[in-house]
Amino acid sequence: MRIAVLLSAGRHAVSGRPAPVPVELQAVGLAADFVERHGADLTGLHAGPDVGPLRDALGHGLPNLVHLVTGADDDPLPSLAAALREGAFDLILAGRVAQGGEDSGLLPYALARALGLPIVSDAAALAPGETPGTLNVEQALPRGARRRLLVRLPVLVTVHPAAPAARPFAFAGARRGILETRPGLAAPRASTGLEERPYRPRPKLIAKAAAGASAAERLKAATEAASGGGRLLVDPPPEEAAREILAYLAGIGVVAKR
Amino acid sequence: MTDTALALALLVLAMAVVAGALAARRARLWRAGRAARVDWLDGLAALPKRYLVDVHHVVGRDPYAARMHALAAGGLLAGSALALAGLVPLLGNARLYWWIVALAFAAALAGGFMVGRRRLPVKPARLSGGRFQRLPLLLAAYAAGGFLVALDASLGGALRPFAFVGLALAAVGGIGLARQLDRGPMRHAFAGAAHLVAHPRPDRFEGKPATALAPLDLDAPRLGVATPADFTFNRLIGFDACIQCGRCETACPAFAAGQPLNPKRLIQDLAAAIQPNATNAAYAGSPYPNARPVAGIGGPDKPLVGTGAMIHPDTLWSCTTCRACVEECPMMIEHVDAIVDLRRFQTLELGALPVKAAPPLMELRYADEPGGRPLGARTDFAAGLTLPLMAAKGEADVLLWLGEGAYELRYGRTLRALITLLQKAGVDFAVLGAEERDCGDLARRLGDEATFQRLARDNIATLARYRFSRILTADPHALHALRNEYRAFGGAYEVVHHSAFLDELVAAGRLPVGALGGARVTYHDPCYLGRYNGEVDAPRRLLDRLGLERLEMERSGRRSMCCGGGGGAPVSDIEGERRIPDIRMGQASATGAAIVAVACPQCSAMLEGVTGARPDVADIAELVLMAVEAAPAAARAETLA
Repeated sequence: MRIAVLLSAGRHAVSGRPAPVPVELQAVGLAADFVERHGADLTGLHAGPDVGPLRDALGHGLPNLVHLVTGADDDPLPSLAAALREGAFDLILAGRVAQGGEDSGLLPYALARALGLPIVSDAAALAPGETPGTLNVEQALPRGARRRLLVRLPVLVTVHPAAPAARPFAFAGARRGILETRPGLAAPRASTGLEERPYRPRPKLIAKAAAGASAAERLKAATEAASGGGRLLVDPPPEEAAREILAYLAGIGVVAKR
Repeated sequence: MTDTALALALLVLAMAVVAGALAARRARLWRAGRAARVDWLDGLAALPKRYLVDVHHVVGRDPYAARMHALAAGGLLAGSALALAGLVPLLGNARLYWWIVALAFAAALAGGFMVGRRRLPVKPARLSGGRFQRLPLLLAAYAAGGFLVALDASLGGALRPFAFVGLALAAVGGIGLARQLDRGPMRHAFAGAAHLVAHPRPDRFEGKPATALAPLDLDAPRLGVATPADFTFNRLIGFDACIQCGRCETACPAFAAGQPLNPKRLIQDLAAAIQPNATNAAYAGSPYPNARPVAGIGGPDKPLVGTGAMIHPDTLWSCTTCRACVEECPMMIEHVDAIVDLRRFQTLELGALPVKAAPPLMELRYADEPGGRPLGARTDFAAGLTLPLMAAKGEADVLLWLGEGAYELRYGRTLRALITLLQKAGVDFAVLGAEERDCGDLARRLGDEATFQRLARDNIATLARYRFSRILTADPHALHALRNEYRAFGGAYEVVHHSAFLDELVAAGRLPVGALGGARVTYHDPCYLGRYNGEVDAPRRLLDRLGLERLEMERSGRRSMCCGGGGGAPVSDIEGERRIPDIRMGQASATGAAIVAVACPQCSAMLEGVTGARPDVADIAELVLMAVEAAPAAARAETLA
């Protein structure tokens, strides 16, 4: 069995310095545990201009890392897809979402489509299935719920932060690990023309209705706004439910009013 | 010369041969260790001074043990050597000479009785049993036998039947003692002497602190210590020098708290593992408290740490690196160095850290701060105070190193007091602000030498950009790193602790202080200031200047007890029965003091965390500020009393 873990160029949430993405290190940990228990080949993959501190993933249990060198503005998708197709991996692990400014968590889905693979999101644990060529995935759902899925390999799985903590960093492991550099594919992205700014938390706006009113009224307005709203229909007939939904969508301006 | 006296002399010769052979066999095992630079000539020349002054200074803290050792060891060596010299006809035929021999053996006998009286009828918990419990019998038999033979010889053979009994006793005792040389208590005699000669920290005999950890070569094929053969040979000699007196275990805070660490047992496990196919079965002292099960097997090339080896990892991570064991050890063993060497392998090679110790190291790697907090927020505690930045000034007389405590609300109050005092005294100072990284103390004690070295180099590069004459810090851990440990990486600074600095200011009259109305205060020495740097006087002098009634705890000064906050112990968080700060606070309460004066962010955090009725915790800087504010209006002092 061959396992690949996708690593992205992350940044530390506070210092802003290049750093591995924690959930991807958890993916490395899941894969390394799987390798230790059931035996498999494990490789890390990164497509980008330089590898930087992603080398440190080698200290978290990854035996080797392949760096596909692409230009700074290149889309990593074609490089990764080509390398993954060529490597004939059975299991491809990725983080749920990376940490860069434009990272939307869509790359695993785009990759799965490009490779024609099924994708399972938010894994918290992995185990081989009873029949060969299958994998048991424990999926993390909101509020601590778990769902167990049985999938046929090959498959692309994204890892959830609820997975076990990453293995502690071992300096000598990073020193021992093998970093292989290969040219990636040039895939210039069309310029998005977006302006990039550091994130600044903004103060919450006090509901206009209560501006200037008494403190109690402002509190009421603020808490009411936070508690959502809407109407609760219990077991409505389908037509009524559809009408309500359309009316709501029209009310908030998503669909045009008829 | 009587025939029995001749036989005694030959017995001593036989003992010397047996002992020599056993010592040589043991010494061959030390060669498994790695090479180390040892100045043998200097070491040999310094041996008498190291033994008579440095060792005696430690042994003498227990006067009974000192007298016992002087009589037993002195009498044994002198009696044996003189009896052997009796083979020279000129001496052997002089009856007066045998009087002297008898006197020496009488001294040894008295020493042997003292050894016995200490262990019988009830053996104190800190002393080991087994072979150690048989030692007084062997000593007494050999000394009494030698005495009878020598007495008979001095009387020209008048007590011949007694001399024969004596010879038999001496033979049993003497050969028994000689046979103990490689494994029993007598090993400390020759291994101890060799350890003093080849000591890995010769500077500690020259009155220097010699407490900085040795830098690790990060390009070495194996980082840290996994097997006994990874220790340098003189460290192995050190483990063999242990006499199992148990002074370390009575001083160890982790042992007192019921965590699975006993320095004596640790050293014995390390010493036992030197032999091929070793087991820990021969040990007869007190165990690791709440010991985690281990296989207890090892060898020169077998791993030391792990459930299948000699030492459980929890033992390693219980240590607060307070050096109390090192301070108490009469054989000058360096326990903390051994623990850090073992930790280095666990951390750097295996990544086998306690679960909660890994995240701070991760944050240190990518954010230079163990809490992962922004470096710019370090000065947030000083909101409202003017805090000059080095980046703006370029130079200042004093560079104030804030340390990790600055992020903490409680310790922020201390730093505010210190800054207010500096401003009142007109000191020209500045802080690094967002340019200050963690000093790396935590990383280094947890064995992450790679992160420590990177932080040290980065900090040294930052400091090189500015001109200042001294670094002032309120954190003894940062003080130790900056003053003693950065030197190996090219950073030599004059670093002063705030207690010494404030003492200077008050002495020079730059800070007029009023009396604090005789409040009762007890001072808790931070390990990294007192034991690591020998600074125990300045804080006390300063407290005395404030008009406080100073009380001393059961353990103080260089022999003070740790608060439990050092060596990464708070993040390793190894389970015990009690908390170390609770024990220390108990000692503080026992003095009847209303205030525990502290001088370290860790101590302040640990002691403030003690619940229930207890003395208040106040940093020295806070007390000085109170005294300065009390100076114009002495009436305010009464609020404290």
